[in-house]
Amino acid sequence: MNIIGPDYLVFGVDDVAAACEYLTAFGLKPVDVTEKGGRFETLDGTGVVVRHKSDPTLPPPLPTSNMLRQQVYGVRSAADLDAIEAELSSDRRVTRLSDGSIELKDDHGFELKFQVTIRRELDMPAEKINAPGAPAQRGPNEIGVWEDMPALPRTLSHVVLFVPDIEIATHFYCERLGFVVTDILTGAGPFLRPKANDDHHTLFFIRTPDYMKGCEHLAFHMGGPTELMVAGTRFVKKGYQSFWGPGRHKFGSNWFWYFNSPLGCHFEYDADMDKHDDSWVAREAPNGAEASQIVLFEMREKWAPGGGPPPGAKG
Amino acid sequence: MQNDVLIDERPGLAPAARRLCHVKDIGEGEARGFGPLPGSKRKIIVLRRKGVLHAWLDACPHYATGTPMAWKTDAYLNGEKTHLTCHSHHALFDMETGECVLGPCLGQTLTRIDIVVGEEGDVFVAAPAEET
Repeated sequence: MNIIGPDYLVFGVDDVAAACEYLTAFGLKPVDVTEKGGRFETLDGTGVVVRHKSDPTLPPPLPTSNMLRQQVYGVRSAADLDAIEAELSSDRRVTRLSDGSIELKDDHGFELKFQVTIRRELDMPAEKINAPGAPAQRGPNEIGVWEDMPALPRTLSHVVLFVPDIEIATHFYCERLGFVVTDILTGAGPFLRPKANDDHHTLFFIRTPDYMKGCEHLAFHMGGPTELMVAGTRFVKKGYQSFWGPGRHKFGSNWFWYFNSPLGCHFEYDADMDKHDDSWVAREAPNGAEASQIVLFEMREKWAPGGGPPPGAKG
Repeated sequence: MQNDVLIDERPGLAPAARRLCHVKDIGEGEARGFGPLPGSKRKIIVLRRKGVLHAWLDACPHYATGTPMAWKTDAYLNGEKTHLTCHSHHALFDMETGECVLGPCLGQTLTRIDIVVGEEGDVFVAAPAEET
């Protein structure tokens, strides 16, 4: 089963205009968007679909206040859809749609859809750095930052779910769909990557009471830590609310910056995540502030020293 | 007391430093954030419900230290404008009692900020009892 990762997340919101404003300001491109909502995409075509919560075309809601309606996974080929259907139709209803995609529920009742991925292949450089002892990544006269530098989400990276039972969730995604556990934060849950994706994780679970079941956050890969901080700074300047970050996680090594949203969950910019193959042995650490980040910063307004000596200084 | 951490210098603030807004700044059914006041990390949300002003610390009780609740400046309400909302996980709070009625902090309550309205209609955080 060559599952690549999430193509889209689908949300049913209570304020479509607010959600559309938010997603656009976050850096996603509106595609076929009307007053009823629509699709917002990253540079590779993955992204978010948003509609009003009363829209009859949406999958049914979770029995909580969470607004997530469906996770749409991309797979490599139609043969992978056949394999998923064969595996899961033994104990649940699997609906085959006219475009060949299949819909079903996971063991916690989250609505899932699998389709041949719509993601476009990107051909863009990563952030380049220079360091003594290493060949220069930016040559002479190639500058690192400029005021209007692009800082747009490149792809939908990962989803984090609140689930009441970690074992049920892990069993379904690993034993039934071939995901691999890369690391475990004991007390929260495991990081998972699907077989056809070498990112440290595309899925993470956090154990919570049943009434919280839903999406905690979704994250988008940026071109590097500088793009992440530039995008986040621009977002804050427009009035959007930082929740956590910027900082850098330990497991996965990815830089992070989380924001509140009108979609009932956090949105994250992330960058520079670890890659793994099947030889990797999962690590485990107790969940907490130390385990979850190597550094954490908090944004402040731009400031610079200058303007003469401090008051009372001699000379 | 949670307030002591978040507004630890409030007792010493002069009245001008405790001013949040004017009564006319908050229409019926509206909520806005002001501050943070000196010595505090969190804003104070002022809202008007059924003609009455209420003030709440902008700190969702889901996490021990509280987290800011808007998704954008002054965007504190849900889409239907019926509840004060934390836009971390869409927890809904009763605008008049501060109680969480749906979401991760179900049953917990926001921290109420006592306010007074001056003769000119300015809204202040109430001074501690010993100063009045």
